[in-house]
Amino acid sequence: MTYSTPHALPGHDGGPPPSRPATTHARVPGPAQRSGPTEDRPRRPWSARRIPACLAAALVVLAAGALLFEVVWVRTGHRATAWWATLAAELAARPLGNLWILAGAAVAAALGLWLVILALTPGLRRQLPLRVPADGHGQTRAVLERKGAALLLRDAAMRVPGVSTARVRVRRHRATVRAGVGFRDTADVKDDLTDALRRAERDQLALARPPRLRVRVRRSRK
Amino acid sequence: MRDHTKTNRTVLALLGLVLLGGGLLVFAGGTDIYRRWNLTPPAGWPLTASRDVLVPSDQTRWTDMGWWWPAAIAALALLLLLALAWLCAQCRRPPRRLTVADSSADSSEEAVTVSNHALSDAVTADLTVLPGVRSGKVRFYGPSTHPRTRIRLELGTGTGPEQIVAGLHGAVERARRSAGWDSLPTHVALSVARHRPHRVE
Repeated sequence: MTYSTPHALPGHDGGPPPSRPATTHARVPGPAQRSGPTEDRPRRPWSARRIPACLAAALVVLAAGALLFEVVWVRTGHRATAWWATLAAELAARPLGNLWILAGAAVAAALGLWLVILALTPGLRRQLPLRVPADGHGQTRAVLERKGAALLLRDAAMRVPGVSTARVRVRRHRATVRAGVGFRDTADVKDDLTDALRRAERDQLALARPPRLRVRVRRSRK
Repeated sequence: MRDHTKTNRTVLALLGLVLLGGGLLVFAGGTDIYRRWNLTPPAGWPLTASRDVLVPSDQTRWTDMGWWWPAAIAALALLLLLALAWLCAQCRRPPRRLTVADSSADSSEEAVTVSNHALSDAVTADLTVLPGVRSGKVRFYGPSTHPRTRIRLELGTGTGPEQIVAGLHGAVERARRSAGWDSLPTHVALSVARHRPHRVE
């Protein structure tokens, strides 16, 4: 019986196991239902902030570990290690107006502000959310990388008669297309190009929040 | 394992506030802001003048107490353990085997499982036959009974996300139904293979 405890454990106390899947089920459709009215315009997913969390956790582990070691080391009758003695002496000697202390404080404040910003902003700026057909079951979210969107828009631009070169830059709210026109009137090409790009953006890219288009055309040098 | 988005963001925000507050406090004291702007900090406010030091060497208010050192050691150990737990939570190890739904309902010992790898490969194969998909990578994460899936697809030329998303939906739906899960949260990241512009003459 002992070897099967890990397996049997979830079933042991009766109450939680049936309720736990139930609560997760109840929670799973929740966001989808809440976002029902805005289903066709999903927001971009929030990053888990894994890398900053890793770095911060590692730093806290290092700092706490070093301090703990030092305290235990000194309390067990050893002499404080050299770096600790130096650090303690410096901290006790330097006044707050000292340049090093001021610089350290400024760096700490800036780092803190940066962490707060990281915690409050969604991140994943290079991913553009896509419209996903609504389904009854699991929630599906899809994103397209900015670079991919730029390539697709460039292809769409190159299909327009008269366009000989196209450069596309996609940002979060704006896509800039610079096209060189080889033949035909530039104004006509610009109209066609704008139409084609708008259609591509709407139909082919399926972006949830299509960036505004800015089209620039000029006669390409021959 | 969950995504830990909320935990990470909360702890990062707390750490950030502590750093920001401490840094500003020291900076305000160090630049003598209180005196220059004629502010009177509340009584007992630390570090108000630029000639104060951060850690006075005679700061032995509690060190003589019997409880101080055990308390300090316990607090540091707790902090260390919490930080270690937070660090370990970051490595998102996918489950090796996924539990097919309803198989574990009757007796927990006879759960039917499918290898994560096998199911991922099957879905990948299902996806890469879609027209326009160059390559794909599928992973299942989360608790083995209610996994989530993350899909990365690289598109070739001539297709758009619109067509892919429809086909993809079918593949994910097949995987979900074959394992009997009643939901399979899916995150799809599409990229487009780099290619040269081709002109229409």
